[in-house]
Amino acid sequence: MPKAQLFLTCLGDQFYTGTLQNMTRLLEQLGVELVFPAAQTCCGQPLFNNGFEDKTRAVALNFMRAFNQSDAPIIGPSGSCVSMVKHHYPALFQVGTPEHALALDISSRIFEFTEYLVHVLQVTDVGASYPHKVTYHASCHYLREMGLKTEAKALIHAVKGLNFVPLNEEDTCCGFGGAFTVTYPEVSRSMMENKVRNVIASGADTVITCEPGCLMNIAGGLQKAGSSIRAMHIIDLLASH
Amino acid sequence: MSNTPTYIGFEEYSQHIPASIPAAVQQATSRFIVGRAARVAELPEWEQLRQAGSDIRLHTIENMDVYLAQFEEKVKAAGGHVHWAETAEDARQIVLEIAKTHHVKMAVKSKSMATEEINLNQALEAAGIEAIETDLGEYIIQIAGTGPSHILAPAVHLKKEEVAALFSKHLHMNAPDDPIELAQIARKTLREKFLAAEMGISGGNFLIAESGTLVLVTNEGNGRMCTTMPDLHVAVVGIDKIIPDWESLTVFLKLLARSATGQKLSTYTQFISGARRSEGEFGPNEFHIVLLDNGRSNILKDPIGREVFKCIRCGSCVNVCPVYKNVGGFAYGWFISGPIGAIFAPQMLGTQTARELPYASTLCGACADVCPVKIPIPTILRHLRRRVAQGDEFSKPSMPAPLQVTASLTSAALASHWVYRFGTRLLPLINPLFRHNNWLTNMPYPLSRWTKVRPLPAFGAHFRQWWKKRRTTK
Amino acid sequence: MTNPILENIRRALGRPQETLLGLRPSILEPRTPASPDSEIAFFLEEIENLSGVGQKLAANEVETALKNLVSEQKIGKASVWNTPLLHDLKIAEHLRALGVDVIPPNASKHQIAECDLGVTEADFILPETGTLALRSSEEKPRATSLAPRVHLAIVTPAALRADLHQVFAEAKNSHYLVFISGASRTADIELTLVLGVHGPKNLYVWVI
Repeated sequence: MPKAQLFLTCLGDQFYTGTLQNMTRLLEQLGVELVFPAAQTCCGQPLFNNGFEDKTRAVALNFMRAFNQSDAPIIGPSGSCVSMVKHHYPALFQVGTPEHALALDISSRIFEFTEYLVHVLQVTDVGASYPHKVTYHASCHYLREMGLKTEAKALIHAVKGLNFVPLNEEDTCCGFGGAFTVTYPEVSRSMMENKVRNVIASGADTVITCEPGCLMNIAGGLQKAGSSIRAMHIIDLLASH
Repeated sequence: MSNTPTYIGFEEYSQHIPASIPAAVQQATSRFIVGRAARVAELPEWEQLRQAGSDIRLHTIENMDVYLAQFEEKVKAAGGHVHWAETAEDARQIVLEIAKTHHVKMAVKSKSMATEEINLNQALEAAGIEAIETDLGEYIIQIAGTGPSHILAPAVHLKKEEVAALFSKHLHMNAPDDPIELAQIARKTLREKFLAAEMGISGGNFLIAESGTLVLVTNEGNGRMCTTMPDLHVAVVGIDKIIPDWESLTVFLKLLARSATGQKLSTYTQFISGARRSEGEFGPNEFHIVLLDNGRSNILKDPIGREVFKCIRCGSCVNVCPVYKNVGGFAYGWFISGPIGAIFAPQMLGTQTARELPYASTLCGACADVCPVKIPIPTILRHLRRRVAQGDEFSKPSMPAPLQVTASLTSAALASHWVYRFGTRLLPLINPLFRHNNWLTNMPYPLSRWTKVRPLPAFGAHFRQWWKKRRTTK
Repeated sequence: MTNPILENIRRALGRPQETLLGLRPSILEPRTPASPDSEIAFFLEEIENLSGVGQKLAANEVETALKNLVSEQKIGKASVWNTPLLHDLKIAEHLRALGVDVIPPNASKHQIAECDLGVTEADFILPETGTLALRSSEEKPRATSLAPRVHLAIVTPAALRADLHQVFAEAKNSHYLVFISGASRTADIELTLVLGVHGPKNLYVWVI
C-alpha cells in the first residue's frame, strides 16, 4: 500500500478545507495510506518570490523538518507551492551542507496532486461524474514550472457526463501572482477581468484550476462580476458524484 | 519621457494609463503572437536554433573583450572609425564632435535603442542640429513628443485620426486619416530629409567580430536610406551586440524576424563593413561606430543578471506578457518595456531607481517560453527582487522599511508552526466583521488591496480539527 | 594603448588574459537544396508571398515584359546597373526604345531619387526566404534598389544558394551587402500594412 504525506499549502489550509478533505478521501480511496505532518505551515514562496531569500530559509527548514519525519512522498494541491519546494529549495542552501542534502531529498519526493495521480498511481479515471459544461484555466507555475501540460485535462476528460469547452487564452496568467495582487492591485484587476471575460465567453458553468491562488482570484472575480459560474479546484471536481 | 529617469513609479504610472492604450497594445501583440507562432511552426529545428542562439550568446558574453577587440581591428582595417564610449555623456560628445567636424545641420536617424538610451536627439537639438527619426512609428512619436508604447510598433497607441492631426499640425497641411496616404506623406516629407541630411545615424542589430561588420535590420527601408544617402554614417551600438562570426549570424537572423514580426527575414538586412569604396556606389565616405558601454561592463560581473545581454530585441517577451498587455509601454517608465525592460532597467539604472520593475510581473513564465535566446527572465526577475529586498554586491536594499518589517514578521510566523496555528485559529474571528454571502469585502489595509478588486473567501482553517477527529473516531 | 572598457570587461568577467575560452558553440547543419527547378519555383512563390511579382522568363521575352512593366507602372525615368547580364539583355536599350529616360546608375542621389524604376541584378538568391542578396560597387550602386518606387531585380539560376551559410561564406568579405526580402513595408499606423514607405513599393523579380 503506497504511503504519502499530505501537504495542505497555506492558502489551501486557510480557505479550502473542503478541498483538502476531498484530497484526503480521494487518495485514500485510491489506496494511499496518508500521514499528516501537523508541524507544516507554508512553503515560503511568498517570501522567496519577493526577494527575501534569507527570510525564506527559516520557513523552508520548518517545512523540511515537518516532512522529514517520514520518507514517504509528499503530495500538495498546488503546482506553484510544489514547484517552490521541488525547484527552489535546493538553491536556498549551500552545497555540501546537511540542509542542502535534505532539500535535494525532499525535492525528489514531492508531487503535485494531479501529477501523483497520473504518473505515480497511473490513474486518470477516479469514477467522478459531473454533468456540467466545464472549462479549464491552465495555471502558470503548474504548467510552466512543473511542466504539467496534459495531466489535468486527462483527469477532466475522464469525468462522466462532463461537457468540456475550451477557454480562450487558457494559459494566460489570471493576474494572481501571489503578492503581485496587492503590490499592483489595478494591474492584477485588469488581468483578472480579462480572465473572467474569457471564462464567461466560454459558455461553461464551471471553471477548473489546479491552484488555490488562481481559484481565489478567479472565483472572487466571478463573484464580483455577478456571474453564477463556479470556480472549482480540480480535486473538488474529481470528488463529485 | 526621459531615458535617464531618477525614479520609475510603475504602480503610479500604471494607474494613469488611458483605456485606449491596453486596447491598442493588445491588438498589436495578438497580431505579433499569431505571426510568430506560424513562422515558428514552420521550422522543426526551432528548439535547436534557440539552444544554439543561447549558447552562442553566452559564449560571446564570456569572451566579450576578445570579440570586441577583434571587431575594432577589423573595422579599422576596413577603413572605418571606432570610438569607445564609457558613458552616455561620452557617446553624446563623440557624436557631436563628429557632427561638428562635418558641419552637420541635419541628421536622419534610423530606429536605434542605443541613441534612445543616451538621449542623443536632445543633445543634437541642443547643439543646433536637427535630428529626424525616419522609422514611421518613431517619426510619429517624435512629432507627438511621447515615448514608444511598444518596442516594434512605437506609435501603436495612436489612432489614425490622431496621426492625421499630428501630420496636419506639424506639416501645415490637411492630412487625411488614411494609413496608406499618411505613409505616403511621410515618404515624401522624409525623402527630402534623406537627400538633404549631412549625417545618417543608426543603431545596429549585430556586430560581427570576424569582419568588423555592422548588421542593420529594417522593414521600411529607412535604415538603408540613412546609410546610403548622407556622406557620413555614425552607428551607435551597445557593446552587447557583438557576435563572433557570420556563421553565428545564420542562427540569429533565423530567430530574429520570426520572433519579432512573424516574418522569415525582415525586408532589408544590411551588412556594412566600412565606408564606400568608390563615390558612385553611394553610401557614406566616412563610417564611424560608437561602441557604448554605459554600465554594461559592470553588469558582466553578475553571472545571473548578465544573461540579459543575450537579448536580440525581438519583443516576443513583450508580446506575450500579460502585465505588459494590460498597461502598455509607458508604465515601465523607460524606452524598453515589458519583461525585458523589467530586467534591463534595474541593471542599467540601478535598483534604487527601478526597484518597482522586477515586481511588475506575476512570474508566469510566458516570456521565457518564447524567448528565442532562452533568457531565463523569471529567474533574473527573482534575482533582481533579491537585490531590491536584501541587497547584494551591486546595490544596497531599496525595499521600503515597512515591507522589510512585514517580511520579517511573516518569516517568523511561518517558521514556527505554533505561531502559524495560533494565527489560523484567530483569523476566522474577523470573518463576521466583513462577511457578505460567504465572501469578505471592504477589509482594512493591507487586505483592502485585495478586496477593492475582488472579495476574499472567508477564513476557515478546519482541516486540522477534521483530521484529528477523524483519526480518533476511526 | 589600454582600452578602459575592455579592461573593465576583463575585470568583470574575471578573465586573466585575452584569449578565447573555448570554441564558439556549433551551428546547425546547412540546408540541403532541392533540384534547381523546384528551388526556383520555391523562390518565386516566396517573392509572391512577400507582395512581390516573381516571373520566370526566357531572354527573348524580356523586351515584352519590360514593355508591360513600363506601361503598367507608368515608368518615365529609370536607372539600370552596369552588369554583363543586364547588357546582354539590352535592358537600357529596350527601356530607351520604350521612351523611358534612362540615367546612369552613378548619377547624383537627387537624380536617382527621381527615378520611377531601378533595375539591378542579384548576386545571390535564397529560396527559403525569397531573398535577393546584392553587393555594391561603382557599377552596382546601392541607391538603385532603394530610391525608385519600382525595383526590378533580374537574376539567373546561377545565383541560387541553398541557405545563409552559403551566401555568407561567399559574401562575408564584401564591404557592403544587402538582403532584400520583399517590398518596403510598415504597419506603424494602426497595424495597417502599407507597402513602399521609404523603399520601393513594387518589387519585380525575373528569373532568366
